[in-house]
Amino acid sequence: MKDYLISMFIDNELDLDEKMMFVETVHGDRRFKDETVSLIGQEKLLRADMATRVPAAVQIGAAKTFTLHGFRPLAAFSAVLALATALFFLYPRPAKHLAPIAARHSMPYRFVVYLPHAHRTQITGSFTGWRPLPMREIAQTGYWVLTLNLSAGEYRYSYLVDSAKHIADPTIATREKDDFGGENSIIEVKNAT
Amino acid sequence: MKRFRFFYNEYRERLFAYLLKMTGDYHLSADIMQESFTRYMERYKNRSHSASLLFAIGRNLVIDHARRRNTRASYGDFTLNSPQADQEQALMVRERYRQVLAGMQQLPQKERDTLALVVSSDLPYAKIAEITGTSEANVKVMVHRARVKLRRILQAGES
Repeated sequence: MKDYLISMFIDNELDLDEKMMFVETVHGDRRFKDETVSLIGQEKLLRADMATRVPAAVQIGAAKTFTLHGFRPLAAFSAVLALATALFFLYPRPAKHLAPIAARHSMPYRFVVYLPHAHRTQITGSFTGWRPLPMREIAQTGYWVLTLNLSAGEYRYSYLVDSAKHIADPTIATREKDDFGGENSIIEVKNAT
Repeated sequence: MKRFRFFYNEYRERLFAYLLKMTGDYHLSADIMQESFTRYMERYKNRSHSASLLFAIGRNLVIDHARRRNTRASYGDFTLNSPQADQEQALMVRERYRQVLAGMQQLPQKERDTLALVVSSDLPYAKIAEITGTSEANVKVMVHRARVKLRRILQAGES
């Protein structure tokens, strides 16, 4: 029984010997190959975009304080229900919060922002796993640029000024509040074709 | 705080995905997610961030909640019966995904736990074994068994 190799393959847990065994079994055993394909299909469903909106877990205001709630499931449930309903109707429907589904091809996307007083500018967004990437200033003009290769999909991002302040992209109208009292810009990158 | 922000952005959706698979309930998952991050922040904000710890906290809260709801120990039934809750859930959870959630709820508790952790956290088997207090070999067997059972459940639902 080598069937568990299929799950290890899906979860990137195979070592080199196991990879060899896996490939040989896929080649030699039709049932095993079909089983692998079927479970990968199911995995796509399991990892699919699950909710129309992933709720906020924390609300951190400008004063950087946040409210701690006792865990009272019923009371909290009512509050969340009311809040979720309110948000659902009040906010323009924000698009998916989940990571964009990668397309086959990526293409260069140039981010430009004018921040003449910044000493350091970084970009942070769903395309970097929210880790900040440094931007380059064009010859002390105050224009900061960075070109990233992005697959088609929807992305959220903000600029981080002097490692301290997050700002949305002033040139992009579509924004949403993040859970920290700031705003993220939302862009949709389309296939070039 | 800045580091927590990145950590939070990176793991919020994954933790929610795990909780949703465990409970099958959008609002309960939202509640537990809030409590998980709150506890994490209260206790561990000054150490280097650990996804294992966050998921362990979330997992413990799910188990505690199940124990409180049902002292008979099975943590399978989280369904909220109010029609209003059902409607809310229908708005929030994508239709196709609801079948997956329903299927997940039919898995035995340990298998659901292991599969939900593996799929949603993206942590290696070794870390999952630490969180669930079992061996890596056991995670390997359990996760595959869960996938095969889930497929059977979903296929039975289609036919």
